[in-house]
This record gives sequence, C-alpha cells and structure tokens, in this order.
Amino acid sequence: MLIDTNVNLGSWPFSPVPDRSGPELAAHLAASGIRCALVSHLGAVFLPEPMPANRRLFAALKHTPGLLPVPVINPALANWREQLAECRAAGTIRAVKILPNFHNYRLRSRRLDDFMAALAETGLKLMLNLRLEDERHKYFALKMKGVPLADIIAFLQRHPTHHILLTGAYWSQEVRPLVASHLDLNFSVEIAFCEAFKTLETMLAAIPANRLMLGTNTPLISTRGQVDKLRCARIPARAKRLIGFENARRFFSL
Amino acid sequence: MRIIDVHTHPVLDHKGATPAEVKSLIAHGRRHGIVHMVALGDVLVYGFRPNAAQLRAINNESAMVARLYPDYFTAFCYLNPRLGERATMAEAERCAALPGFRGIKLECACNAAHACMRHVAKAARTFNFTVLQHSWSTTNMVRDRVYQSDPIDTALFARRNPDVKVIMAHLTGIGFRGVLEVKDLPNLYVDTSGGWPEEGLVEFAVEHLGADRLLYGSDLPVRENAITIGRILGAQISAADRRKIFFGNTARLLNLNLN
Repeated sequence: MLIDTNVNLGSWPFSPVPDRSGPELAAHLAASGIRCALVSHLGAVFLPEPMPANRRLFAALKHTPGLLPVPVINPALANWREQLAECRAAGTIRAVKILPNFHNYRLRSRRLDDFMAALAETGLKLMLNLRLEDERHKYFALKMKGVPLADIIAFLQRHPTHHILLTGAYWSQEVRPLVASHLDLNFSVEIAFCEAFKTLETMLAAIPANRLMLGTNTPLISTRGQVDKLRCARIPARAKRLIGFENARRFFSL
Repeated sequence: MRIIDVHTHPVLDHKGATPAEVKSLIAHGRRHGIVHMVALGDVLVYGFRPNAAQLRAINNESAMVARLYPDYFTAFCYLNPRLGERATMAEAERCAALPGFRGIKLECACNAAHACMRHVAKAARTFNFTVLQHSWSTTNMVRDRVYQSDPIDTALFARRNPDVKVIMAHLTGIGFRGVLEVKDLPNLYVDTSGGWPEEGLVEFAVEHLGADRLLYGSDLPVRENAITIGRILGAQISAADRRKIFFGNTARLLNLNLN
C-alpha cells in the first residue's frame, strides 16, 4: 500500500504524456503498488482561471475512490474565494495546490495572507508546488524557474500554524538548505524531484522520515522509477512506511 | 536481470578512489543487478579544460579501478582535444596500453563539432576506442555552445566519422529533439542517463532509433540507480528490448565477454 502525493491527470503541451482517464490512471499507479493518490489536473497550469480544469478533475475521479482530487487554486485572481468555495462544494477535498511560478505571483505577496487565513478556516491543507519539470528541459520559449528558496522560507515563517507540503522540490538546491537552517518551520517534503546517489539514505541524515512523503510527479516523470527509489532504499522499514503512506495518511486525514 | 552501466563515475570529486570505497560501490551495483560498470573518470574535478598532467591523474584513477576489479570495470580514457593532436594521441596511447580501457570520454572541453575533434576521431580509429560524448540540449537553460555539445553537435561528429562508434550521453538531456537528430546515424548510440526520468522518452527512443542503439547508463554517483533502472523497467517496451538496453547492446558494442 503506497500513497502518492503528487499525481496529475490531463495532457501536457510540451511532451507526449498519456492523457489518462481516472480508471486508467488508477490502473497505471496500481502497477507500481500505488493504491491511493492525491491528484490534480494539468489543465489548471496554463488556463487563465483554473476552475474548468478542476471541474474536469472532479468529474474524472468520481468513480475512482482511491484517487483523491486536489484542486488548484490561483490566489492571485480576484475570484479566489469563489474558486475555493466551488471546490469545497464539489465534494470532499483534503487539500488545495498552488503554483506560484506558473500563475505569476510571488509567495511574498500580501494577497496570500488572506488566502491562507481563509484556508485555515476550512481546515484544508496546502500543497505548494515549486516545479513540474526540470528547468533545463522546458519548452524553449518557456522561461520559468522554480519558486525562489528565500520566498519559500519567508512564506513558511509568515504562516507557522499551517503545515505545508512542498511538492516538486530539489534536494540539493532547496530541501537541503531549507532543513539545514529552518527545520523548525512547519513543512513536509514530497520527494519526486529529490535525487542523490542514495537519495533517501542521504535525506534521512538531514531530515526526519516523518517529514517526507512519496510522490511521483506522474505523468511527467516515470512512476516506476520514483517508487523504486523508495522500494530499493536501504533505510529502516519504519521509515519506508512513514514515507510510503503513514505520513500522507496522517497529513491528509485519510 | 543482468545490467551493464555504461555511464558511471566511481571516483568523483576525489571521492571513491580507495579500495574499500570501490568495493562498496561494487556491492551497491550488485544489489541493483549491475554486473559491470564503465568508469568514465572524475571528469569535472579540474574544470572543463584539464591539462595533460590532470588528465593523466584522472585516467590513472580509472586505471586503478579497472586494475583492482577487472571483471567489474571497463575504463574510458578522458581526453581534452583542445590540447592538440600530439597530447591527445599520447594520452590515448598511454591508456590503450593499460588493461581495461576500451573507449574515450569527452565532457565539456570543447563542442563536439569543433575542428579539434578530428584528433579524437584519429585516436578512436587508431586504438579501436568507442567515444562517449557528454551531450545536452542547449535550447533552454543550458545555452553555452563553446563547452556544451548540443545533440546537433554530437550528431555532426558521428556523421563526419562514420567509422567511429559514438555514444551520445544523457537521453533526458538531449530529449525528443536529440533522438530525432541522430536517427540516421547507425554508428551513434544513446545512453539513458541524465536528469529526471521523463515519461515516454525511452519509448520514443526505441521507436525512432530501435532498441539496439539504446544503452543503460546511470551517471552514478550523480544520480540514483533505483530510479534510472526503474525508468527502463517501467517503460512500455518489450522484455527483449529491455534486455538489449540493460545488457546486450553495451556488451556487443564494447566487446565485453561477461559470463
């Protein structure tokens, strides 16, 4: 039983990834041992307003109980309260995701304070996505870097009562410096973009296992490769359970 | 599943050169099913353009690894063709006389389309070496074409030298465009190392190049074997193609007799 905290439905304009239905995605993940996943829709990345993609997400996952929708909210838009309200009304959701670099706002923006306050009232968790692709391989006209580390730190410091899940973080450029100086901040890390020679052995020397969660960034990168990173790691069985499902189960109240 | 890893750096940044470290690396490899590694050297330890003495030091470390465990390591001779024909040929000849060397490794000393690459081609012909060229698409964040080789550049080197066997490193780095760039070059192979395992790229390479021209590589210790192997295991390709990529192609290309 694995829980994947970083999965997407939908197509990606810059590579021929499969545009799966909900059941097809569930079958694909199950082939790698993943029975439960937190799923967003890639359509929300480039649309001027994310709700059409969120609606497609809710519809697609209606009959796949193991796939849990995580709608994308764009708090830089004037209607973010409506986005949030519609997503909550659409069904049970446990978290929302934000994409600051794709949606062109800084985490330092004061507008986010209102958003975070509203989120606190709902009890929903926040997933903060730092990247969806390796910056070196983006489409040639897409000049976008990951979310700046200084902004992430300032954001976490401004919202200490929110336990925030960072997705798409690099180990060496973001997670390692973050845990070296700010392990006291209230965050966990999804590991799809964390890689070293022995990734999890290396990470666990710096960050406790209860702060890490399995994520694959399916369908943009190989699901099997990411699962094998956990499966093959020479770390205690308890750490594997925490990273593979227990932390996610607790974080998302599953 | 038996695996040959065609892209490894057992010694990197001066680490990994002791016999105990080499032994530990072999144990690590065997846990993942890797029965043989190609040691490419500590290629960036002196920057992009090492001098002759620095090249010798790097290649001596690769020779040491191959001498310690000849059944487990093949070595490639690291060269800087900017040093000229005499220096390039001298270092290639020195390495060719050492046990275990079967190829030439090129990193970022110059672009693969540069005129000085003719020295590399001459060395490859003279000593029957395969050439492994670091390559990366230069269309986005990696822009430099002085030191970096775009797949167009590596393809040009292979096209100019059809009698030389070339491995273009880093399938993820060269991307979909890079695969198409080398489609018509039967003397060019692509290794699967480099970057995150982007979905669909292995299948695309098999479709356009054929499974016979893909070689498993990890770029360890920069990357993790579980991920780089899992990417091939998870690809929608046949079991026979997977065996070629993991083992058969590299064994044939480098004439490795592994029982």
